[in-house]
Amino acid sequence: MLFSASATPLVPSLCLLAAEKPVNRRPMMMRLSGGGAIGSSSSSSNFDLKTYWGTLMTEINQKLDEAIPVKYPAGIYESMRYSVLAQGAKRAPPVMCVAACELFGGDRLAAFPTACALEMVHAASLIHDDLPCMDDDPVRRGKPSNHTVYGSDIAILAGDALFPLAFQHIVSHTPPDLVPRATILRVIAEIARTVGSTGMAAGQFVDLEGGPFPPSFVQEKKFGAMAECSAVCGGLLGGATDHELETLRRYGRAVGMLYQVVDDEKKTDGAIQMAQELKDKAKKELQVFDDDDDKYSEELVVPLHTFVDYAAHRHFLLPL
Amino acid sequence: MDNADLRRGKPTNHKVFGEDMAVLAGDALFALAFEHMTALSIALVVSPERKIRAVIELAKAIGTKGLVGGQVIDLCSEGLDPNDVGLEHLEFIHLHKTAALLEAVAVVGAILGGRTEEEIEKLRKYARCTGLMFQVVDDVLDVTKSTDELGTSAGKDVIAGKLTYPRLIGLERSRELAEKLSKEADEQHIGFDPNKAVPLVALASYITGRHN
Repeated sequence: MLFSASATPLVPSLCLLAAEKPVNRRPMMMRLSGGGAIGSSSSSSNFDLKTYWGTLMTEINQKLDEAIPVKYPAGIYESMRYSVLAQGAKRAPPVMCVAACELFGGDRLAAFPTACALEMVHAASLIHDDLPCMDDDPVRRGKPSNHTVYGSDIAILAGDALFPLAFQHIVSHTPPDLVPRATILRVIAEIARTVGSTGMAAGQFVDLEGGPFPPSFVQEKKFGAMAECSAVCGGLLGGATDHELETLRRYGRAVGMLYQVVDDEKKTDGAIQMAQELKDKAKKELQVFDDDDDKYSEELVVPLHTFVDYAAHRHFLLPL
Repeated sequence: MDNADLRRGKPTNHKVFGEDMAVLAGDALFALAFEHMTALSIALVVSPERKIRAVIELAKAIGTKGLVGGQVIDLCSEGLDPNDVGLEHLEFIHLHKTAALLEAVAVVGAILGGRTEEEIEKLRKYARCTGLMFQVVDDVLDVTKSTDELGTSAGKDVIAGKLTYPRLIGLERSRELAEKLSKEADEQHIGFDPNKAVPLVALASYITGRHN
Protein backbone atom coordinates (compact mmCIF):
# COMPACT_ATOMS: atom_id res chain seq x y z
CA MET A 1 0.00 0.00 0.00
CA LEU A 2 3.06 2.25 0.17
CA PHE A 3 2.96 3.01 -3.50
CA SER A 4 -0.27 1.47 -4.56
CA ALA A 5 -3.71 2.57 -5.36
CA SER A 6 -5.14 -0.41 -3.53
CA ALA A 7 -7.37 0.21 -0.56
CA THR A 8 -6.30 -2.94 1.27
CA PRO A 9 -4.79 -1.82 4.54
CA LEU A 10 -1.25 -2.94 5.29
CA VAL A 11 -1.25 -5.40 8.17
CA PRO A 12 2.28 -6.48 9.03
CA SER A 13 2.68 -9.64 11.04
CA LEU A 14 3.77 -7.63 14.07
CA CYS A 15 0.76 -5.35 13.99
CA LEU A 16 -0.46 -4.60 17.47
CA LEU A 17 -3.34 -2.45 16.44
CA ALA A 18 -6.89 -3.67 16.10
CA ALA A 19 -6.85 -4.81 12.50
CA GLU A 20 -9.73 -4.42 10.13
CA LYS A 21 -9.14 -7.97 8.92
CA PRO A 22 -7.46 -11.00 10.48
CA VAL A 23 -3.74 -11.26 9.76
CA ASN A 24 -3.33 -13.89 7.11
CA ARG A 25 -0.49 -12.73 4.96
CA ARG A 26 2.37 -14.86 6.25
CA PRO A 27 3.27 -17.25 3.43
CA MET A 28 4.61 -14.70 0.95
CA MET A 29 6.93 -13.10 3.45
CA MET A 30 8.37 -16.38 4.67
CA ARG A 31 9.01 -17.91 1.28
CA LEU A 32 11.15 -15.24 -0.33
CA SER A 33 14.83 -16.05 -0.08
CA GLY A 34 17.43 -13.66 1.19
CA GLY A 35 15.16 -12.49 3.96
CA GLY A 36 16.80 -9.79 6.00
CA ALA A 37 20.22 -10.13 4.38
CA ILE A 38 21.07 -7.01 2.49
CA GLY A 39 23.44 -6.71 -0.46
CA SER A 40 27.09 -6.79 0.29
CA SER A 41 27.21 -4.32 3.15
CA SER A 42 27.38 -5.79 6.62
CA SER A 43 26.48 -2.64 8.50
CA SER A 44 23.18 -2.50 6.72
CA SER A 45 21.71 -5.29 8.78
CA ASN A 46 22.10 -2.96 11.75
CA PHE A 47 20.50 -0.04 9.97
CA ASP A 48 17.50 1.16 11.86
CA LEU A 49 15.02 1.77 9.08
CA LYS A 50 12.22 2.24 11.54
CA THR A 51 13.83 5.25 13.20
CA TYR A 52 15.09 6.67 9.93
CA TRP A 53 11.64 6.42 8.41
CA GLY A 54 9.88 7.60 11.56
CA THR A 55 12.02 10.73 11.83
CA LEU A 56 11.44 11.62 8.22
CA MET A 57 7.74 10.94 8.53
CA THR A 58 7.45 13.39 11.39
CA GLU A 59 9.17 16.10 9.37
CA ILE A 60 7.14 15.40 6.26
CA ASN A 61 3.86 15.40 8.20
CA GLN A 62 4.74 18.74 9.71
CA LYS A 63 5.55 20.26 6.35
CA LEU A 64 2.42 18.85 4.73
CA ASP A 65 0.31 20.30 7.51
CA GLU A 66 1.84 23.71 6.86
CA ALA A 67 1.53 23.33 3.10
CA ILE A 68 -2.27 23.06 3.09
CA PRO A 69 -3.72 25.64 5.49
CA VAL A 70 -7.50 25.91 5.52
CA LYS A 71 -8.67 28.96 3.59
CA TYR A 72 -11.89 29.97 1.88
CA PRO A 73 -13.78 27.90 0.89
CA ALA A 74 -12.94 25.68 3.85
CA GLY A 75 -14.62 22.52 2.53
CA ILE A 76 -12.16 21.89 -0.27
CA TYR A 77 -9.12 22.44 1.95
CA GLU A 78 -10.51 20.13 4.58
CA SER A 79 -11.07 17.46 1.97
CA MET A 80 -7.50 17.86 0.71
CA ARG A 81 -6.11 17.71 4.24
CA TYR A 82 -8.22 14.70 5.10
CA SER A 83 -6.47 12.59 2.51
CA VAL A 84 -2.99 14.11 2.61
CA LEU A 85 -2.70 14.13 6.41
CA ALA A 86 -4.36 10.73 6.84
CA GLN A 87 -3.11 8.90 9.91
CA GLY A 88 -2.38 5.62 8.17
CA ALA A 89 -0.17 7.13 5.49
CA LYS A 90 3.27 5.58 5.33
CA ARG A 91 4.91 8.42 3.38
CA ALA A 92 6.90 6.02 1.23
CA PRO A 93 7.21 8.34 -1.80
CA PRO A 94 8.65 11.23 0.27
CA VAL A 95 11.01 8.98 2.22
CA MET A 96 12.32 7.35 -0.93
CA CYS A 97 12.80 10.75 -2.53
CA VAL A 98 14.85 12.03 0.40
CA ALA A 99 16.93 8.86 0.56
CA ALA A 100 17.69 9.00 -3.14
CA CYS A 101 18.66 12.66 -2.87
CA GLU A 102 21.02 12.09 0.03
CA LEU A 103 22.66 9.15 -1.73
CA PHE A 104 24.29 11.60 -4.12
CA GLY A 105 25.32 14.00 -1.43
CA GLY A 106 22.23 16.15 -1.74
CA ASP A 107 20.87 18.11 1.20
CA ARG A 108 17.55 16.80 2.41
CA LEU A 109 16.34 20.41 2.60
CA ALA A 110 16.53 20.39 -1.17
CA ALA A 111 14.33 17.31 -1.29
CA PHE A 112 11.65 18.09 1.28
CA PRO A 113 9.41 20.28 -0.93
CA THR A 114 9.44 17.71 -3.74
CA ALA A 115 8.95 14.94 -1.20
CA CYS A 116 5.81 16.70 0.02
CA ALA A 117 4.67 17.29 -3.54
CA LEU A 118 5.00 13.57 -4.28
CA GLU A 119 2.81 12.78 -1.33
CA MET A 120 0.20 15.30 -2.52
CA VAL A 121 0.15 13.73 -5.96
CA HIS A 122 -0.01 10.28 -4.42
CA ALA A 123 -2.95 11.31 -2.24
CA ALA A 124 -4.69 12.85 -5.23
CA SER A 125 -4.43 9.64 -7.21
CA LEU A 126 -5.81 7.62 -4.29
CA ILE A 127 -8.77 9.98 -3.87
CA HIS A 128 -9.70 9.57 -7.53
CA ASP A 129 -9.05 5.82 -7.55
CA ASP A 130 -11.48 5.30 -4.65
CA LEU A 131 -14.33 7.14 -6.35
CA PRO A 132 -17.60 5.27 -6.94
CA CYS A 133 -17.09 5.58 -10.68
CA MET A 134 -13.60 4.05 -10.37
CA ASP A 135 -12.58 1.38 -7.83
CA ASP A 136 -15.51 2.30 -5.60
CA ASP A 137 -13.72 1.88 -2.28
CA PRO A 138 -15.63 3.09 0.79
CA VAL A 139 -12.55 2.61 2.98
CA ARG A 140 -8.99 3.82 2.66
CA ARG A 141 -6.29 3.13 5.27
CA GLY A 142 -8.93 1.87 7.66
CA LYS A 143 -11.01 5.04 7.47
CA PRO A 144 -13.87 6.23 5.26
CA SER A 145 -12.55 7.25 1.88
CA ASN A 146 -12.60 10.91 0.93
CA HIS A 147 -15.75 10.85 -1.21
CA THR A 148 -17.62 9.00 1.53
CA VAL A 149 -17.03 11.93 3.87
CA TYR A 150 -17.10 14.90 1.50
CA GLY A 151 -19.06 13.64 -1.48
CA SER A 152 -17.80 12.71 -4.92
CA ASP A 153 -17.83 16.22 -6.34
CA ILE A 154 -15.62 17.69 -3.61
CA ALA A 155 -13.39 14.59 -3.68
CA ILE A 156 -12.85 14.95 -7.42
CA LEU A 157 -12.04 18.62 -6.95
CA ALA A 158 -9.71 17.92 -4.02
CA GLY A 159 -7.71 15.57 -6.23
CA ASP A 160 -7.74 18.15 -9.01
CA ALA A 161 -6.46 20.83 -6.63
CA LEU A 162 -3.69 18.77 -5.03
CA PHE A 163 -1.95 18.19 -8.32
CA PRO A 164 -1.23 21.84 -9.18
CA LEU A 165 -0.58 22.59 -5.52
CA ALA A 166 2.20 20.02 -5.61
CA PHE A 167 3.94 21.93 -8.40
CA GLN A 168 3.47 25.25 -6.66
CA HIS A 169 4.90 23.80 -3.48
CA ILE A 170 8.02 22.58 -5.22
CA VAL A 171 8.71 25.96 -6.77
CA SER A 172 7.83 28.10 -3.76
CA HIS A 173 9.72 26.02 -1.18
CA THR A 174 12.77 24.57 -2.89
CA PRO A 175 15.80 26.67 -1.92
CA PRO A 176 17.16 28.17 -5.16
CA ASP A 177 20.69 28.08 -3.81
CA LEU A 178 20.43 24.33 -3.40
CA VAL A 179 18.64 23.39 -6.61
CA PRO A 180 19.08 24.99 -10.06
CA ARG A 181 15.91 26.06 -11.86
CA ALA A 182 16.58 23.70 -14.73
CA THR A 183 16.49 20.82 -12.28
CA ILE A 184 13.17 21.97 -10.84
CA LEU A 185 11.77 21.85 -14.37
CA ARG A 186 13.00 18.31 -14.78
CA VAL A 187 11.36 17.32 -11.50
CA ILE A 188 8.07 18.86 -12.58
CA ALA A 189 8.29 17.12 -15.96
CA GLU A 190 9.02 13.80 -14.27
CA ILE A 191 6.00 14.08 -11.98
CA ALA A 192 3.75 15.20 -14.82
CA ARG A 193 4.80 12.25 -16.92
CA THR A 194 4.29 9.83 -14.05
CA VAL A 195 0.73 10.95 -13.44
CA GLY A 196 -0.29 11.21 -17.05
CA SER A 197 -1.50 9.02 -19.84
CA THR A 198 1.69 6.99 -20.06
CA GLY A 199 1.94 6.50 -16.31
CA MET A 200 -0.54 6.11 -13.53
CA ALA A 201 -3.56 7.06 -15.59
CA ALA A 202 -2.64 4.33 -18.06
CA GLY A 203 -2.40 1.79 -15.27
CA GLN A 204 -5.76 2.70 -13.86
CA PHE A 205 -7.31 2.67 -17.32
CA VAL A 206 -6.14 -0.86 -17.99
CA ASP A 207 -7.13 -1.90 -14.48
CA LEU A 208 -10.66 -0.71 -15.15
CA GLU A 209 -11.03 -1.70 -18.76
CA GLY A 210 -8.67 -4.60 -19.33
CA GLY A 211 -7.05 -4.95 -22.72
CA PRO A 212 -4.25 -6.72 -24.54
CA PHE A 213 -1.62 -5.92 -21.93
CA PRO A 214 0.53 -8.30 -19.90
CA PRO A 215 -0.56 -8.69 -16.25
CA SER A 216 2.50 -6.78 -15.13
CA PHE A 217 1.35 -3.69 -17.03
CA VAL A 218 -1.06 -2.59 -14.33
CA GLN A 219 1.48 -3.33 -11.62
CA GLU A 220 4.13 -1.39 -13.40
CA LYS A 221 2.00 1.59 -14.24
CA LYS A 222 -0.12 1.93 -11.17
CA PHE A 223 2.37 1.01 -8.49
CA GLY A 224 5.83 1.01 -9.98
CA ALA A 225 5.38 4.46 -11.47
CA MET A 226 5.09 6.35 -8.20
CA ALA A 227 8.10 4.64 -6.64
CA GLU A 228 10.09 5.18 -9.81
CA CYS A 229 9.14 8.85 -9.81
CA SER A 230 10.10 9.30 -6.17
CA ALA A 231 13.51 7.74 -6.63
CA VAL A 232 14.24 9.67 -9.82
CA CYS A 233 13.11 13.01 -8.39
CA GLY A 234 15.32 12.42 -5.37
CA GLY A 235 18.22 11.62 -7.65
CA LEU A 236 17.62 14.76 -9.73
CA LEU A 237 17.64 16.89 -6.61
CA GLY A 238 20.82 15.23 -5.37
CA GLY A 239 22.62 15.87 -8.62
CA ALA A 240 22.66 12.34 -10.04
CA THR A 241 23.96 11.76 -13.55
CA ASP A 242 21.65 10.51 -16.28
CA HIS A 243 23.12 7.03 -15.93
CA GLU A 244 22.54 7.06 -12.17
CA LEU A 245 19.00 8.29 -12.75
CA GLU A 246 18.24 5.35 -15.01
CA THR A 247 19.48 2.99 -12.32
CA LEU A 248 17.25 4.71 -9.78
CA ARG A 249 14.38 4.48 -12.21
CA ARG A 250 14.67 0.72 -12.58
CA TYR A 251 15.23 0.30 -8.85
CA GLY A 252 12.19 2.39 -7.96
CA ARG A 253 9.95 0.63 -10.40
CA ALA A 254 10.97 -2.77 -9.06
CA VAL A 255 10.44 -1.75 -5.42
CA GLY A 256 7.02 -0.29 -6.13
CA MET A 257 5.89 -3.37 -7.97
CA LEU A 258 7.41 -5.65 -5.33
CA TYR A 259 5.48 -3.89 -2.61
CA GLN A 260 2.21 -4.40 -4.40
CA VAL A 261 2.86 -7.99 -5.40
CA VAL A 262 3.67 -8.90 -1.78
CA ASP A 263 0.67 -6.93 -0.59
CA ASP A 264 -1.63 -8.79 -2.91
CA GLU A 265 -3.92 -11.37 -1.45
CA LYS A 266 -3.37 -13.86 -4.26
CA LYS A 267 -0.37 -15.84 -3.08
CA THR A 268 0.04 -17.93 -6.18
CA ASP A 269 3.34 -19.53 -7.07
CA GLY A 270 3.52 -17.16 -9.99
CA ALA A 271 3.14 -14.20 -7.66
CA ILE A 272 5.80 -15.50 -5.30
CA GLN A 273 8.19 -16.01 -8.17
CA MET A 274 7.46 -12.54 -9.47
CA ALA A 275 8.15 -11.11 -6.02
CA GLN A 276 11.47 -12.90 -5.85
CA GLU A 277 12.43 -11.64 -9.29
CA LEU A 278 11.48 -8.10 -8.40
CA LYS A 279 13.45 -8.25 -5.18
CA ASP A 280 16.51 -9.56 -6.99
CA LYS A 281 16.10 -6.95 -9.68
CA ALA A 282 15.88 -4.09 -7.19
CA LYS A 283 18.95 -5.34 -5.33
CA LYS A 284 20.85 -5.80 -8.56
CA GLU A 285 20.29 -2.17 -9.49
CA LEU A 286 21.79 -1.08 -6.19
CA GLN A 287 24.95 -3.03 -6.96
CA VAL A 288 26.47 -0.08 -8.79
CA PHE A 289 26.16 1.98 -5.63
CA ASP A 290 27.34 -0.85 -3.36
CA ASP A 291 30.43 -1.51 -5.42
CA ASP A 292 31.83 2.01 -5.30
CA ASP A 293 32.55 2.85 -1.65
CA ASP A 294 34.47 5.96 -2.58
CA LYS A 295 31.69 7.55 -4.51
CA TYR A 296 28.66 6.39 -2.57
CA SER A 297 28.81 6.33 1.18
CA GLU A 298 27.69 2.91 2.41
CA GLU A 299 25.40 4.36 5.04
CA LEU A 300 23.55 6.29 2.35
CA VAL A 301 22.94 3.25 0.16
CA VAL A 302 21.60 1.25 3.07
CA PRO A 303 18.18 2.92 3.25
CA LEU A 304 17.56 2.00 -0.37
CA HIS A 305 18.35 -1.64 0.43
CA THR A 306 16.07 -1.67 3.42
CA PHE A 307 13.15 -0.35 1.34
CA VAL A 308 13.45 -3.50 -0.73
CA ASP A 309 13.64 -5.69 2.34
CA TYR A 310 10.68 -3.98 3.92
CA ALA A 311 8.65 -4.36 0.73
CA ALA A 312 9.48 -8.05 0.63
CA HIS A 313 9.34 -8.99 4.28
CA ARG A 314 7.52 -6.31 6.26
CA HIS A 315 9.45 -7.18 9.35
CA PHE A 316 8.48 -4.21 11.42
CA LEU A 317 5.57 -1.98 12.10
CA LEU A 318 6.01 1.50 10.76
CA PRO A 319 5.39 4.25 13.29
CA LEU A 320 2.08 6.04 12.83
CA MET B 1 -20.97 17.86 -10.74
CA ASP B 2 -23.12 19.83 -13.16
CA ASN B 3 -24.51 16.59 -14.59
CA ALA B 4 -24.58 17.98 -18.11
CA ASP B 5 -25.55 15.87 -21.10
CA LEU B 6 -24.28 18.27 -23.71
CA ARG B 7 -21.16 20.30 -24.20
CA ARG B 8 -20.70 22.49 -27.28
CA GLY B 9 -23.68 20.85 -28.84
CA LYS B 10 -22.32 17.32 -28.48
CA PRO B 11 -22.74 14.61 -25.86
CA THR B 12 -20.45 15.22 -22.89
CA ASN B 13 -17.31 13.14 -22.44
CA HIS B 14 -18.69 10.99 -19.62
CA LYS B 15 -21.82 10.22 -21.59
CA VAL B 16 -19.73 8.78 -24.38
CA PHE B 17 -16.88 7.15 -22.46
CA GLY B 18 -18.26 6.66 -18.96
CA GLU B 19 -17.53 8.59 -15.78
CA ASP B 20 -14.41 6.64 -14.88
CA MET B 21 -12.78 7.31 -18.22
CA ALA B 22 -13.84 10.94 -18.13
CA VAL B 23 -12.21 11.47 -14.72
CA LEU B 24 -9.03 9.78 -15.93
CA ALA B 25 -9.04 11.77 -19.16
CA GLY B 26 -9.26 14.99 -17.18
CA ASP B 27 -6.43 13.90 -14.90
CA ALA B 28 -4.30 12.88 -17.85
CA LEU B 29 -4.91 16.19 -19.64
CA PHE B 30 -3.85 18.18 -16.59
CA ALA B 31 -0.65 16.16 -16.45
CA LEU B 32 -0.07 16.39 -20.19
CA ALA B 33 -0.45 20.17 -20.08
CA PHE B 34 2.43 20.46 -17.64
CA GLU B 35 4.50 17.83 -19.37
CA HIS B 36 4.00 19.71 -22.60
CA MET B 37 4.98 23.03 -21.07
CA THR B 38 8.16 21.69 -19.55
CA ALA B 39 9.33 19.79 -22.62
CA LEU B 40 13.06 20.15 -22.88
CA SER B 41 12.99 20.76 -26.61
CA ILE B 42 11.93 24.35 -26.06
CA ALA B 43 14.35 24.89 -23.20
CA LEU B 44 16.68 26.61 -25.61
CA VAL B 45 14.22 29.32 -26.49
CA VAL B 46 12.90 30.16 -23.04
CA SER B 47 14.92 30.29 -19.83
CA PRO B 48 14.09 27.78 -17.09
CA GLU B 49 13.20 30.69 -14.83
CA ARG B 50 10.51 31.89 -17.22
CA LYS B 51 9.17 28.44 -17.90
CA ILE B 52 8.82 27.81 -14.20
CA ARG B 53 6.96 31.09 -13.74
CA ALA B 54 4.64 30.09 -16.54
CA VAL B 55 4.04 26.66 -15.02
CA ILE B 56 3.23 28.18 -11.64
CA GLU B 57 0.87 30.73 -13.19
CA LEU B 58 -1.10 27.93 -14.81
CA ALA B 59 -0.98 25.81 -11.66
CA LYS B 60 -2.47 28.66 -9.61
CA ALA B 61 -5.23 29.15 -12.16
CA ILE B 62 -6.49 25.59 -11.99
CA GLY B 63 -6.19 24.97 -8.25
CA THR B 64 -8.07 26.20 -5.20
CA LYS B 65 -7.23 29.79 -6.09
CA GLY B 66 -8.70 29.33 -9.54
CA LEU B 67 -10.94 26.79 -11.23
CA VAL B 68 -11.38 24.49 -8.28
CA GLY B 69 -12.18 27.32 -5.86
CA GLY B 70 -14.76 28.74 -8.24
CA GLN B 71 -16.33 25.38 -8.88
CA VAL B 72 -16.65 24.65 -5.16
CA ILE B 73 -18.51 27.89 -4.51
CA ASP B 74 -20.60 27.39 -7.63
CA LEU B 75 -21.65 23.95 -6.41
CA CYS B 76 -22.61 25.40 -3.01
CA SER B 77 -24.58 28.21 -4.63
CA GLU B 78 -27.40 26.13 -5.95
CA GLY B 79 -30.67 27.19 -4.45
CA LEU B 80 -29.36 30.35 -2.83
CA ASP B 81 -31.71 33.31 -2.73
CA PRO B 82 -30.20 36.18 -4.73
CA ASN B 83 -31.52 38.60 -2.13
CA ASP B 84 -29.29 36.99 0.48
CA VAL B 85 -26.21 36.97 -1.68
CA GLY B 86 -23.86 39.87 -2.24
CA LEU B 87 -22.24 40.77 -5.55
CA GLU B 88 -18.90 39.62 -4.26
CA HIS B 89 -20.20 36.06 -4.05
CA LEU B 90 -21.03 36.00 -7.74
CA GLU B 91 -17.81 37.75 -8.56
CA PHE B 92 -15.88 35.13 -6.63
CA ILE B 93 -17.39 32.40 -8.77
CA HIS B 94 -16.66 34.13 -12.06
CA LEU B 95 -13.22 35.38 -11.09
CA HIS B 96 -12.23 31.86 -10.18
CA LYS B 97 -14.13 29.77 -12.68
CA THR B 98 -13.68 31.90 -15.76
CA ALA B 99 -11.39 34.87 -15.32
CA ALA B 100 -8.55 32.96 -13.62
CA LEU B 101 -7.74 30.79 -16.60
CA LEU B 102 -8.07 33.69 -19.02
CA GLU B 103 -5.77 35.67 -16.78
CA ALA B 104 -3.28 32.82 -16.71
CA VAL B 105 -3.11 32.42 -20.46
CA ALA B 106 -2.56 36.13 -21.01
CA VAL B 107 0.07 36.29 -18.28
CA VAL B 108 1.81 33.12 -19.48
CA GLY B 109 2.01 34.63 -22.95
CA ALA B 110 3.45 37.82 -21.49
CA ILE B 111 6.00 35.94 -19.38
CA LEU B 112 7.17 33.78 -22.25
CA GLY B 113 7.26 36.83 -24.50
CA GLY B 114 9.62 38.57 -22.10
CA ARG B 115 7.33 41.40 -20.99
CA THR B 116 8.20 43.61 -18.02
CA GLU B 117 6.46 43.19 -14.67
CA GLU B 118 4.34 46.26 -15.32
CA GLU B 119 3.25 44.95 -18.70
CA ILE B 120 2.47 41.55 -17.25
CA GLU B 121 0.20 43.09 -14.64
CA LYS B 122 -1.61 45.17 -17.26
CA LEU B 123 -2.29 42.07 -19.31
CA ARG B 124 -3.44 40.27 -16.21
CA LYS B 125 -5.92 43.02 -15.51
CA TYR B 126 -7.03 43.14 -19.13
CA ALA B 127 -7.76 39.43 -19.10
CA ARG B 128 -9.50 39.53 -15.74
CA CYS B 129 -11.80 42.36 -16.83
CA THR B 130 -12.52 40.61 -20.11
CA GLY B 131 -13.33 37.37 -18.32
CA LEU B 132 -15.74 39.04 -15.93
CA MET B 133 -17.23 41.06 -18.73
CA PHE B 134 -17.93 37.89 -20.62
CA GLN B 135 -20.00 36.59 -17.74
CA VAL B 136 -21.92 39.82 -17.25
CA VAL B 137 -22.75 40.02 -20.95
CA ASP B 138 -23.73 36.38 -20.92
CA ASP B 139 -26.16 36.97 -18.06
CA VAL B 140 -27.58 40.10 -19.66
CA LEU B 141 -28.10 38.32 -22.98
CA ASP B 142 -29.99 35.54 -21.24
CA VAL B 143 -32.46 38.02 -19.89
CA THR B 144 -32.83 40.09 -23.03
CA LYS B 145 -33.15 37.01 -25.19
CA SER B 146 -35.98 35.71 -23.06
CA THR B 147 -37.64 39.06 -23.15
CA ASP B 148 -37.47 39.13 -26.95
CA GLU B 149 -38.61 35.59 -27.37
CA LEU B 150 -41.32 35.51 -24.77
CA GLY B 151 -42.45 39.09 -24.93
CA THR B 152 -42.28 39.24 -21.14
CA SER B 153 -39.40 39.65 -18.74
CA ALA B 154 -37.94 36.39 -17.58
CA GLY B 155 -40.23 35.06 -14.86
CA LYS B 156 -37.89 32.52 -13.42
CA ASP B 157 -38.13 31.46 -9.84
CA VAL B 158 -35.58 33.55 -7.98
CA ILE B 159 -34.87 30.77 -5.48
CA ALA B 160 -34.05 28.03 -7.96
CA GLY B 161 -31.43 28.21 -10.68
CA LYS B 162 -28.25 30.13 -11.13
CA LEU B 163 -27.15 33.35 -9.54
CA THR B 164 -26.82 35.96 -12.23
CA TYR B 165 -25.85 39.63 -12.38
CA PRO B 166 -29.31 40.85 -13.42
CA ARG B 167 -30.86 38.91 -10.55
CA LEU B 168 -28.45 40.42 -8.07
CA ILE B 169 -28.18 44.01 -9.25
CA GLY B 170 -30.77 44.34 -11.98
CA LEU B 171 -30.48 44.57 -15.75
CA GLU B 172 -29.56 48.24 -15.99
CA ARG B 173 -26.77 48.07 -13.43
CA SER B 174 -25.49 44.92 -15.09
CA ARG B 175 -25.17 46.75 -18.39
CA GLU B 176 -23.33 49.56 -16.62
CA LEU B 177 -20.98 47.07 -15.04
CA ALA B 178 -20.20 45.58 -18.44
CA GLU B 179 -19.42 49.06 -19.73
CA LYS B 180 -17.17 49.78 -16.78
CA LEU B 181 -15.27 46.54 -17.22
CA SER B 182 -14.91 47.20 -20.92
CA LYS B 183 -13.33 50.60 -20.22
CA GLU B 184 -11.01 49.08 -17.64
CA ALA B 185 -9.90 46.46 -20.13
CA ASP B 186 -9.25 49.14 -22.77
CA GLU B 187 -7.14 51.18 -20.36
CA GLN B 188 -4.70 48.31 -20.02
CA HIS B 189 -3.68 48.65 -23.65
CA ILE B 190 -2.22 52.08 -23.14
CA GLY B 191 1.51 51.89 -23.60
CA PHE B 192 1.46 48.90 -25.85
CA ASP B 193 2.19 49.07 -29.57
CA PRO B 194 -1.35 49.52 -30.97
CA ASN B 195 -0.63 47.32 -33.98
CA LYS B 196 0.50 44.48 -31.78
CA ALA B 197 -2.40 44.95 -29.41
CA VAL B 198 -5.00 44.66 -32.15
CA PRO B 199 -5.77 40.96 -31.71
CA LEU B 200 -6.34 41.41 -27.98
CA VAL B 201 -8.55 44.44 -28.50
CA ALA B 202 -10.51 42.61 -31.17
CA LEU B 203 -10.94 39.61 -28.88
CA ALA B 204 -12.38 41.73 -26.10
CA SER B 205 -14.74 43.45 -28.53
CA TYR B 206 -15.93 40.16 -29.88
CA ILE B 207 -16.62 38.86 -26.41
CA THR B 208 -18.61 41.91 -25.37
CA GLY B 209 -20.16 42.63 -28.73
CA ARG B 210 -21.81 39.24 -28.86
CA HIS B 211 -25.19 40.72 -29.39
CA ASN B 212 -24.06 41.63 -32.89
